[in-house]
Amino acid sequence: MSYDPIDITLIGAKIALVFFVILTLAAYLVFAERKVLAWIQDRKGPNRVGPFGLLQPLADLIKLLTKEDFRPIGADKWLFYLAPAMAAIPAIMIFAVIPFGAPLTVFGHSVELQISDLNVGLLLFLALSSIAVYGVALGGWASNSKYALLGSIRGLAQLISYELSMGLSLVPVVMLARSFRLSDIVAAQSGCWFIVYQPLAFIIFLISIAAECKRIPFDLPEAEGELVAGFHTEYSGMRFGLFFVGEYINIIVLGGLAATFFLGGWHGPWLPPVIWFSGKVLAFAFLFIWMRGTLPRLRYDQLMHFGWKILTPLALVNILVTGWWLVLRG
Amino acid sequence: MKIFSDMTALMTGMWITWKHIFRRPVTIQYPEQRRQPYPRYRARIVLTRDPEGGERCVACQLCSAACPVDCISMQPAEGDGGRRYAEWFRINFARCIFCGLCAEACPTLAIQMTPDYEICTRDIMNLIYEKEDLLIDGCGKSADYNFYRHAGIAVTQPRGNGAEELPPVDVRGLMP
Amino acid sequence: MPKLIIDDITVEVAEGTTLLEAAQSVDIPIPHFCWHPALGRAGACRVCAVKLLDGPVKGIQMSCMLPAQEGMVVSTTDPEAVAMRRHVIEWLMINHPHDCPVCDEGGECQLQDYTIAGGHGIRRYSGKKRTHVNQYLGPYIEHEMNRCIQCYRCVRYYQEYAGGTDFGVMGSAGRVYFGRFQEGQLESPFSGNLVDICPTGVFTDKTARFRARYWDYDMAPSVCPGCSLGCNTTPVARYRELLKTVARRNDAVNGWFICDRGRFANSAVNAPLRPRHAVVDSRESCVEDALDTLLLRIHALGELHGPGSIAVVGSSRMAQEAAELLPQLALRIAAGALCYRTTRKESTETSSFVELVHTGSSASQQDVRKSDCIVVYGCDPLNEAPMMAMAIRQAWRSGATVYVIEHKITLPCEFTLRATLDDVPLAEAERPVIICNLSAETDQLDKLLEGHSRLKIAPLFPAANSFGTALLMREHGAISLEEALADGEIKGIISIEADIPAALLGKIPFVAALDWQATATVQAAQIVIPTTAWVEMNGSYINYEGRAQHFSKVMNPGVPVKGLDPAGHPPHIHRSTATGGEALPARQLLARLIKLLDDGNRGLS
Repeated sequence: MSYDPIDITLIGAKIALVFFVILTLAAYLVFAERKVLAWIQDRKGPNRVGPFGLLQPLADLIKLLTKEDFRPIGADKWLFYLAPAMAAIPAIMIFAVIPFGAPLTVFGHSVELQISDLNVGLLLFLALSSIAVYGVALGGWASNSKYALLGSIRGLAQLISYELSMGLSLVPVVMLARSFRLSDIVAAQSGCWFIVYQPLAFIIFLISIAAECKRIPFDLPEAEGELVAGFHTEYSGMRFGLFFVGEYINIIVLGGLAATFFLGGWHGPWLPPVIWFSGKVLAFAFLFIWMRGTLPRLRYDQLMHFGWKILTPLALVNILVTGWWLVLRG
Repeated sequence: MKIFSDMTALMTGMWITWKHIFRRPVTIQYPEQRRQPYPRYRARIVLTRDPEGGERCVACQLCSAACPVDCISMQPAEGDGGRRYAEWFRINFARCIFCGLCAEACPTLAIQMTPDYEICTRDIMNLIYEKEDLLIDGCGKSADYNFYRHAGIAVTQPRGNGAEELPPVDVRGLMP
Repeated sequence: MPKLIIDDITVEVAEGTTLLEAAQSVDIPIPHFCWHPALGRAGACRVCAVKLLDGPVKGIQMSCMLPAQEGMVVSTTDPEAVAMRRHVIEWLMINHPHDCPVCDEGGECQLQDYTIAGGHGIRRYSGKKRTHVNQYLGPYIEHEMNRCIQCYRCVRYYQEYAGGTDFGVMGSAGRVYFGRFQEGQLESPFSGNLVDICPTGVFTDKTARFRARYWDYDMAPSVCPGCSLGCNTTPVARYRELLKTVARRNDAVNGWFICDRGRFANSAVNAPLRPRHAVVDSRESCVEDALDTLLLRIHALGELHGPGSIAVVGSSRMAQEAAELLPQLALRIAAGALCYRTTRKESTETSSFVELVHTGSSASQQDVRKSDCIVVYGCDPLNEAPMMAMAIRQAWRSGATVYVIEHKITLPCEFTLRATLDDVPLAEAERPVIICNLSAETDQLDKLLEGHSRLKIAPLFPAANSFGTALLMREHGAISLEEALADGEIKGIISIEADIPAALLGKIPFVAALDWQATATVQAAQIVIPTTAWVEMNGSYINYEGRAQHFSKVMNPGVPVKGLDPAGHPPHIHRSTATGGEALPARQLLARLIKLLDDGNRGLS
């Protein structure tokens, strides 16, 4: 690893760019979600702030920032304040290992469009997504509220259960690419996307990340109809905003990972790689919004049943079959 | 196979929502576009008068009893000729849910609902309507109805001269 | 003891019990208009129809007219009986006007209830309604004959039960008319019960005309403060105004009724002159300041004139709870005198009668009603305690002999004059009762009570809690204010709901008054602290027979909403307390005063 000042500057610039893009994207994803849901329901959606309501995210931000920040009586002060950060930061950190474009050449330097090309990138993703569980767990527990606690208990069980199938569904990908390095995985798909070899793993992964993002139909930790707002019931203002934005960053990041693992990352004909990557991410984001507009929430027992008795065995069988296939092929 | 029918169900749902994305929204942009309410729309409550111009409200308290949110209060009093009327009559529109049960309960058709739904105000005290705010100079619906003509007591006409009434009995008469 | 089956429930009732009462004893309601527990049956309304399925009588029968017999099988829900009752209601409604919205009975009307219950909603009869001309029945009762359903309850009550002669029934068939025979007011002092007894709105309370509806009433079980009988009442209030009083059933005391004096006595509670704020030296103050000032004055008076210069004066109209605290206060301020009575005569009389009355010797109103020999001795029940006269009449109706000891009075029954108590054949009577007032000779009564073990007495005390305060007088050696002031030592008076004559007040430099009425004492007092009337607090009175009766809070104290705002409607202001609602029950004020004194003493030592 070189410590060329230009390299350091470039890394700084990449981090800044990624931060800016992801936060903006997350904010506009909220807006897009409201719009798409409105269209699905034959409404117009937010259209008052700015042209076509485009400044709505800004207005939301101002509103969240100016709201009263309060803590319930009996809440654990530090954990209560820590939890929103624990929810948002791991989500955004995962993006460090995602390659979002083909390497560029700037001032004679070859620049990877990836912040850190770790050789265990996939494992880092799994580790960080496990840490994100703490945001839910601590937020719910520290609130000293029964709704929040119920939400966080559900969230814990759900996230741990679906992490399993998510991890298992990625094993065939690693077996095919023979690397944990995400750039290698992308490179391995330059010819054919892994979704072609591994449609089942893709579907399991897709379902698992929907559950990881706590999106409908897996939004039991929040479950408005039953738990007010689940684990973040007691949060207000920007602390609630962090949970909120963390959820949408999660969508972007997991969408990016899904694209990286199964849809060839930034690979694609004719268009520039960055556009291909963004397009795939946004397609996943749209899919999530679309699902939210369509599907009802699962029951808790259905959720557990589905995760443990269907997805996990299927993922194991898929690993086995992939292994045989690889051995037979030599 | 159950899984295929389930998949079909999911896909059908996704397809229906997909189609709706491209439908024309039904939203009416309120301050710029306004809906013309139907004549029987249930909004701002008024107190009407009978065809002779007298107050229809007899302050019988049935509306306040029917009101599920207790937003109506009044004080009955005795007026000229034994007419029962409301000394004061108050509707707290900040509390009213416009369910129309009061209008339904009203035996004299005094309390009626109008299509005027734009009564928002910044000061909640402005939503407390007293009798002078509620009473209108008209009959509203059922323009020809006068409760006292049918009630069987003498207020608008001498005793025994109302609709469906016989002249008063002469109790000291000897006729069978 | 006939045994019968009503709606599959086996009932055993006393001989002579009607089917209606037998059904009521097992909580099976049967609609009725003309039947009333106090008046008995008339068979006039036909709405209590039931079907007898088996037994000595069969078919549709009026349950109020038929005595229960052995082996009867009765169904109140038989379709035939239900149809019969429904048709009865429908024909009763043929002539009943559709004026429920402007009728004061609406909401508490038996006819309304049964019409709804019977499901009669649409008028099928197309003929016209008969109408009547109303009468002016005085300032208390409103007459609206169109609403009459000819149940005869009013005339049975008025003539038979209450002994009135000026009101009755006229006409025949469909033209039956209930009213006075001549122009004028109702003469009976019990006419107000017509309002309670009428199952529909023919007689309504004129004093509460067009004021409120039953479901909005503030109501609570209470006791009449009018005299020492302690009749049970239900006062009715709305918007901090006492609207009316209705009788509350208590078989041991007043039965079903009350007298007009107790019923139409709301004006004192609603009086605009009632003290509503604490006043110190003619300046409006608050209760805390007035109590503090009172303490300072008590202290100053003690300094100036020495201990024992203050008298604590109660009265026989205060609730027992407050009366019990007076000796405590007197002790704390080292009062020169504790008084419950103003005159010496009153004081000695009540004390001696309290000795006389005990469980074995006192006659309740029920004892009077069940008596077979009543002696009215030196009192005038109709004026002193009207319901006692009513009880005497009931005894007379059941065959009792009523003796009046040479005295010019009227009673709503026939009576025999006797010169002295000794002329009355008390020994021959099974359940004799002597009704007297405090002017009677206690020695003579005592001797009679000793001589006749079955004899009971009913001494009519002057006020609601005369008996209770007399007990306290005996316990604490209280004297009358007249006696206390005789030596001129008393320089200050703390009057708690006492009516002190101006002659006694004149010589006193310092007067403090705790009262809810604007009495002469309140006018003369330097410190006035408002208390609550009996309807505005919980408390108890002990009536003439030593029966302690609790009364509950009916309404919150405060200036009535009526007339509060010049705009004619209640003000548009949010307040946590009512205007003039700072009055506290006398017992609470006394307790606070005592606590302040205790705290002060503790602070000094």
